[in-house]
Amino acid sequence: MAEFHKADIEKLIDGVLPWRATQDMLKSSKDPDRFDKYVEILQARVAFADPILLPLTPMLFIVATGGERVVKCQCGHSFGDYRVNWKLSALIHVRDDEASLSEIYKGREMPDPSWIQVREYICGGCGAQLEVEAVPRGCPPDFEFLPDLDTFYREWLGRPLPDEKEYRDRTLEEIATW
Amino acid sequence: MAVLSLKERIRANDEAFRKTGSLFGLTTLTRKESDPGTYEAVWHILSNLCNAAWATGCKVSSSPIAAEGGDALWGLHTATGEAICISRGISAHAGLLSDMIKNFIAIGYEEYPGFKQGDIFENNDPHYGGIHSPDFDMCMPLFYNDELIAWASCVSHVADAGSVTPGSIGFLNPDCYSDGIAISMERVGEQDRFYPWYEMRIRSRTRTPDFVMGDARGRLAGCITIRERLVEVIEKYGLEFFLDAGKEYVEDSRRYAVGRVRTQTVPGRIRKSQFKDLAMKGKRVLLAKQDIDCMFNLPMELTINADASVDLSLRGASGTVPFGENISPTALKSGLMMGYSHIIGFDMFNSGPISAWNIEMPPDGSWANPYPLDFQAASGVAWAPAVTWVSSLYEVFGRLFQMRGFVEEMAAGAGTIMTAEFSGINQTGMYLTGLTLEQASQGSPARGYSDGENSAWCIYTPEADFGNAEISELYYPILFLGRNVAPNSGGFGQFRGGLGHTAVWMVYNTPGLEYQCGDAGMRSKTVANHGMFGAYPAVPDRPAYAHGTNVRELIDAQKPLIHERGDPESPAIASKIQASIVEDNAVAPFVTPHALVDYDIIVHPIAGAEAMGDPILRKPAAVANDLDEGWTTERVARDIHGVVTSKPNGHFVVDEAATAKRRAEMREARKQRAVPFKEWWAEERKRIQAQENMDPAVLRMWHSSMELSPKYAAELRAFWQLPDDFVFAC
Repeated sequence: MAEFHKADIEKLIDGVLPWRATQDMLKSSKDPDRFDKYVEILQARVAFADPILLPLTPMLFIVATGGERVVKCQCGHSFGDYRVNWKLSALIHVRDDEASLSEIYKGREMPDPSWIQVREYICGGCGAQLEVEAVPRGCPPDFEFLPDLDTFYREWLGRPLPDEKEYRDRTLEEIATW
Repeated sequence: MAVLSLKERIRANDEAFRKTGSLFGLTTLTRKESDPGTYEAVWHILSNLCNAAWATGCKVSSSPIAAEGGDALWGLHTATGEAICISRGISAHAGLLSDMIKNFIAIGYEEYPGFKQGDIFENNDPHYGGIHSPDFDMCMPLFYNDELIAWASCVSHVADAGSVTPGSIGFLNPDCYSDGIAISMERVGEQDRFYPWYEMRIRSRTRTPDFVMGDARGRLAGCITIRERLVEVIEKYGLEFFLDAGKEYVEDSRRYAVGRVRTQTVPGRIRKSQFKDLAMKGKRVLLAKQDIDCMFNLPMELTINADASVDLSLRGASGTVPFGENISPTALKSGLMMGYSHIIGFDMFNSGPISAWNIEMPPDGSWANPYPLDFQAASGVAWAPAVTWVSSLYEVFGRLFQMRGFVEEMAAGAGTIMTAEFSGINQTGMYLTGLTLEQASQGSPARGYSDGENSAWCIYTPEADFGNAEISELYYPILFLGRNVAPNSGGFGQFRGGLGHTAVWMVYNTPGLEYQCGDAGMRSKTVANHGMFGAYPAVPDRPAYAHGTNVRELIDAQKPLIHERGDPESPAIASKIQASIVEDNAVAPFVTPHALVDYDIIVHPIAGAEAMGDPILRKPAAVANDLDEGWTTERVARDIHGVVTSKPNGHFVVDEAATAKRRAEMREARKQRAVPFKEWWAEERKRIQAQENMDPAVLRMWHSSMELSPKYAAELRAFWQLPDDFVFAC
C-alpha cells in the first residue's frame, strides 16, 4: 500500500508538488490514512481550534463544537448546523442584469440575465467567495453535500463519533421559520 | 444437465447478483486468485485485441470521422452481453452496445431468426436503445465449436444518416420521423457479408453513401478482427479460461469501483443543478412548432449508501423539446457509464462499475425519458442535454475526493460541445456533408492542484483529437486561417479551466456551402452551473461568420486577414472584414440562412473547461504567465484575479504589494455589496411570484419540471414558501 509524506500532500494542496511526484500519486494505490493526514494539515491552517470532522470544501469545514456539528469557514466564521444548507447563513451577491454581469463577462461573453443569474456566496467573516451558482431565477440553491457523517465514521472509518445526529436535511425546516 | 438459453442465463445472472451482490454470483475470483499472472496478461491481450479492431476498422472506413478522428469503438462481450473490454475511441457507447446485445436476446432473436457465426446485427433506433441515427451500433455473435461464447460489437458515427437536414448533428429534427434512416434491431447480413438490400437502403437514404458503407465495412472488419484474434487467445489459454476470466474481469471491475467509492468518497447525498439553453425563436427552423426558445433542467442527485452503492435520480428533469435533443434512458445510462469510467472505474473499463448503481427511471415525458408521453420525440443529437448533464458528475466526484483528501483525483466541470458541420459541393465537385472534429479537443477541467490543459481533452471520448487541418481541407471546401488557443475561454478561478481554441475558416472552391453550427451540448444564452468552490463559469459559446466579404481583395492587396476571435467587445471579424452580412455574435445553434460562398469567413470557437476555487486565490505569478502567453487579459487579471501588473521589458511583472492591497479591498467590497441570504430570499420570492425578468423558455422549463416531478415541485414551492397551487406560466 502506498504511503505519502505529509509534506508532499501539503505541496499537492498548494499546487507546487512536481508533476512526476503528482503522477506517482495518481498512479499508485491510495494511502489508507490520507483522510487523517489531510485533516491534520487543514486543522493546522484554520483559525479555530474546533476539531474538523469533514472538509466540505477547501474553505468550509464541518467541525465539532460544544456537542454540536456546525459548518465553519477557515477564518472561523460559523454557518450553523451542517444539516441546513450553509448558504442560508452566507452573504449573497446576485448578478442578474447586464451591468453587474459585465463586471465578469464582457461583450459576446455575457450570458442573458433573463435566462440565468450568477449568485456569489460570500463569507461574512473574511470575504472569501465560497461558491458561485449560475442558475435561472426560481432555482433553490444547491445543497451540494449532506454527509451521512455517523455512517462515515462508524462504518467506513471504524471510529464512531460521539453525539450521533440524525442524517436528515433540515433546510426546509429552517426556511419554514422565516 | 439442460443447456440454458441465453435469455435464461441472463435471468440466472440477475438472480445470482441479487442474492450474492456479486456479478454472475462470483463471490470468489477463482482464475485471478489461482493464476494472477495469466489473468492479468490475458486482460491486456483482450484489450489489445479490441484496439487492433479499432485500428483496422478506422482505416477500412473511408469517412474522415472514423479515419481521421477515430470516432468509433469496438468491444468484446460475454455471451450474455456484458462488456468485458473495449477499444480506445468513443467510450461513451460501451454501455449502449452491451444493452443492445441484451435486447437482441431479450426479444427472442435466439429462437428466431437465431444466432449463427457470420451474422451481422445492427441498431441505430433510439426507440430500441440507440442514441441517435448517425451512431450505427453493430454486433456479431462469436462461436467456438458451435457454441456461442462471446459477442464482438462496434459503433461508428457516420457522416450522414439521411435525417431531414444534412449531416449527423440533427438538432433541427422536429420529430423521430425526421431523424433519418432507421435500422431497428435488424439482422443486416450473414456469412460476414451485408445483405444487398442493406446497401441499397444506405445508397438511397443517406447523402454520403460511400462514406456510410465505408463505415459499415470498417465496423465489420473490426468485428472480424476480434473474432479471429479471440480464437488465437482461446487456443492458447483454453476456452474454459476465457469463459471464466471474461466474467471475472467484469466482476473485478465492479469491485474496484465499489472499493474506490468506499475508500475515496463519503456517504451522503449530493446535489448539482444544471441548465442548458436551446434558443431557436426567430431562426431558420423546419416546422412552426419549432419557433420557440427552450431551456433544459438537468438535475443530478446522487446518494452514496453505507454499502458504497450509488443511487442516482434525475427528479425535476424538464419536458421534451420539439428538436432532436431527447434521449432514451438506455443511451443516457451509457453516457453515465462513460463519465463514471473516467472518474472511478477506469482500471478495467467494462460493464462492471455501473452495476453498483441504482438509477431511478427519469420522469416520464422528460428529455431523459421521452417516449412514455411523447413517442414522436426526435433524437437527432440526443447527446446534447445528456453530455451537459454528465459534466456534473466530474464536479460531484471532485467534491467527494476533496473531502477524503485525494486532491490529485479532483476535477471541475467539462467544457461544452458546439459542432461545425458543412454540406455542399466540395473542390472536387463532389457533394459532401459531415462533421469536423474541432469539438473533440476542448480545454480540460481544472484539477485540485493545477489548471486544466488547453485543447487536450474531450468529455465524450478519451480520443481527444481534432484531426489534422490539412485533412479537413482535403474533404471540405474550406481553408484554415487560424487555429488558436482562445484567451479567457476557460472558467476563472484559483485553478482555471483549460482553454479552448478558435478555428477560423475561409470558404473556398465551392458553388455554395451550408455551415451548421450545431448543438451537441453547447450553451449560448447561459453559462454552466460550475462555480466550484467560488470560481466563475466559462463563457457562453458564440460563433461568428461573414458572408459576401472583401477577403479576396484583402488577399490581393496583401492586407491582414482574420486569424482569431479577437476582443469580446470588438470582434476581429467586424473590425477587419467588410461584408454584406456580418454576424459577429451569433447565438448558437443555427444553420446559415443562406449558402456561404468563396471567401466567406467562419469563426468557430471551441469551449474551454471549468475552473475551481476563488479567483483571488490564484497565484499572481500564474496570472502573469497567462498574460505573457496571451491566455488572459489585463482586465481579467486586475478585475477578477485582483492582480496588479506592469510590463516593463516585454514581460508582465506582478506588483506584490499592490496585489495584496487590491485583493484585501476586493474582499471588503464583496462583504459590503452582498446581503444576508435571508434578506435576498425575501425579495427574490416576490420576484419569482411576479415571474420578473424570466424568459418564457425559463418559465416553460420550470412548468414542465414541476408537472413531471411532483416531489421536486413540492420542494421548490416549500423552499420559496410559494402556495401549494403555484405554477409557472407556460
